[in-house]
Amino acid sequence: MQGTDKNIIADLKDVNKRDLAFHQLVGTYQERLYWHIRKIVMNHDDADDVLQNTFLKVWRSIDNFREESSLFTWLYRIATNESITFINSKKKKSFMPMNDASEFLMDNLTSDPYFEGDEIQLKLQKAILRLPEKQRIVFNMKYFDDLKYDEMSEILDTSVGALKASYHHAAKKIEEYLKSTD
Amino acid sequence: MEELKNIAPNLSKMKKENPFGTPKHYFDDFSARMQMQIEAEKHVANDKDFKIINLLKPALGLAASFAIIFMLVYIPIKTFIPQEQVIETIASTNYSDNEMHSILEGLDESSFFSLLNNDDNDETFSDDDLLAYVSSNFNAYEIFEYTEE
Repeated sequence: MQGTDKNIIADLKDVNKRDLAFHQLVGTYQERLYWHIRKIVMNHDDADDVLQNTFLKVWRSIDNFREESSLFTWLYRIATNESITFINSKKKKSFMPMNDASEFLMDNLTSDPYFEGDEIQLKLQKAILRLPEKQRIVFNMKYFDDLKYDEMSEILDTSVGALKASYHHAAKKIEEYLKSTD
Repeated sequence: MEELKNIAPNLSKMKKENPFGTPKHYFDDFSARMQMQIEAEKHVANDKDFKIINLLKPALGLAASFAIIFMLVYIPIKTFIPQEQVIETIASTNYSDNEMHSILEGLDESSFFSLLNNDDNDETFSDDDLLAYVSSNFNAYEIFEYTEE
């Protein structure tokens, strides 16, 4: 993947090869980024919008990518920021308190025609939605995407220690919710 | 994983399945849709550049016209009118004290003295005029002092 990424980056910075390289980039990362975004915004239509915004931002700022981090980390960071920006704009529009998006996301989850999970999975998603935003993102990245703490640290610009603590608290809260709703 | 078993036994027993789905062929179509968006983005960027140039065009044209007119007028004046004449024109115009001070500071010594010599000093006074001027501007003591010197 590292070798492919290097080729993609080199081609993206070459104006003559940019279009083809971008097509390759989208093909390589669209699924991983989609699922990451989908777990944050919960609804397919919103995830589709945010994914498009993410790739547009990548297109616009490819010249500013200084290769200090890996391409994958950079893309994940943009996708995470775009998702958070999207939720914040929804919160503003519906006059919700800035720290509470869980109701809006719960509506998103229950009204999404593409949710295919059973009751247990729905319960798990509801438990995840009750977490604070940062803990929710950390939990999803660790539990579902199996990302390493080092990678998460680069993406979220947070220390490994703080991420471990966030994941620990999140898992405990989810466990409590699962027990209380049994 | 071991850590999860300890802190959240119920959670660790759950299957890690992705509960979300997408419309059919979503990922097959996405790349093509994205390509279209990028094409649109390129057009917007080109239009933006074009619009900025279009907006600036009249202002740039006007500025260029003024510059040309200025050059056409200023350069012949500067070239063909002799320097002395210019100084004379300046001296004969009415200026405030500050303006006059700054003009005089800009002159070199020889220009300054030639200006003084060329000044409108050829006016003649009658004795009566002189007497009236002295009596209205000086008192008797000052006249006495000047005549003593």
